Amino acid sequence: MDYLSISNLPIFWVLASVTVIISALQAVLYIRQAKKATAVCSLDPQLPKKAFKIGLISAIGPALGVFIVMVGLMAAIGGPMAWLRLSIIGAAATELSAATLGAQACGLTGLADPNYDLMVLAVSWFGMALNGAGWLVFTGVATPGLEKLRDKMSGGDMGWLAYMSAACSIGIFAYLNANQMISGGPKINAGGTVACLSGAISMMLIGKFVVPKHPKFAEYSLGIAMIIGIALAIIFVG
Amino acid sequence: MENNYMSTWKKNSVRIGSPTNLLAALTSFLPVIYLCIRFDCWPDISLVLAAWGLIALSFGAFYVVEPVSYYASLGMSGTYLSFLSGNIGNMRVPCAALALDVTKSEAGTIQAEVVSTMAICGSIITNLIATTAAALVGTAVVAVLPEAINKGLQTYASAAIFGATLGNFGLKKPKVAVIGLAIPVICKLIGGIPSWIIIVLSVFGTVGVARLFYNAEKKKAVQ
Repeated sequence: MDYLSISNLPIFWVLASVTVIISALQAVLYIRQAKKATAVCSLDPQLPKKAFKIGLISAIGPALGVFIVMVGLMAAIGGPMAWLRLSIIGAAATELSAATLGAQACGLTGLADPNYDLMVLAVSWFGMALNGAGWLVFTGVATPGLEKLRDKMSGGDMGWLAYMSAACSIGIFAYLNANQMISGGPKINAGGTVACLSGAISMMLIGKFVVPKHPKFAEYSLGIAMIIGIALAIIFVG
Repeated sequence: MENNYMSTWKKNSVRIGSPTNLLAALTSFLPVIYLCIRFDCWPDISLVLAAWGLIALSFGAFYVVEPVSYYASLGMSGTYLSFLSGNIGNMRVPCAALALDVTKSEAGTIQAEVVSTMAICGSIITNLIATTAAALVGTAVVAVLPEAINKGLQTYASAAIFGATLGNFGLKKPKVAVIGLAIPVICKLIGGIPSWIIIVLSVFGTVGVARLFYNAEKKKAVQ
């Protein structure tokens, strides 16, 4: 039996589902907590429903990307592991490099090496699990400390806290955009640049001109900006 | 009421998030442990450690840098949810930010916590549906989709979403966004700087610039 058909054995779907179910269960527990907070603090009872719906709808665009990427990952590491890894922390590229580095630690070139056997498969799987555990253990242990760090940085000034939160997000998205626009070399990545800029400009135009007149439109703005960004990148760069 | 409840909210968030994240870290080893037991293919511990070392060299800094950088936009429950479910930059933060925007919620309030938590939970459900659908019918669907759509979603979806989210913040804080974008672009153009250092420079550089603008605006308001 080759290693990919072993990776696809039904038992692995069952074992992977344990972690996927924990992720779903955590979401259910937080939904309960949010509903309780809404009642206790007498917030608008429509608020949690509305927010949930926005998350559900806005995630459709990016989730389509995850769908396509996962099909590629299934071919490389098998269905159950692709399902497990993409349902929790770790993007496809991260998982592929973790699995590949596992094979390289065993002296192979990568996942397609003819000497890739069951033992190397085990090292690859350990590699992905250990890598994901890095984020899970850090947040599992250190999150209350992050809250203290944020309090310290804001110094109790609520106006600055809001400003700082926006600045943090701008900082991290600036990095994510720069990463798509310029690849190592350094070389300008034309397709990524067109997708980033047209996504940004469409979102700004929608926010500035469409949403003030049709507030309902805001919920779909992310998906629409994404489609425009992808379409222009394909048309101009291919 | 609101302020008093905030400490209860945080306490409950830790009580839910901490054990679930740690438990998921453990259960994600179930497939590999079963694999080794059933096929008796336990690798040498030194090989696993060598693999871990190589992986930690590439990703280790992100275990710390990402939770720190995303914390302000995700909040406490959002951090637990997002770092368990992944897809933070391309899905969780954009969804949470949009929901906060649409509901006009101010950062640091209990309303903001409720709204971002619910938006992230909604996006997690969508993601679980997408990955489960991909597992069931993915290969068949990709085979019948036109090549351009497959390629577009695979290559450009993240870039377009990153752009859209930055554009959304840029509407509110245009000056901060322009300077913020300049920092990593310059770092990338120089080349050779490790990614995690660029993230730290972008986030803290942007916060520093924002502080200057904030102080200036405050001064103006006083005058």
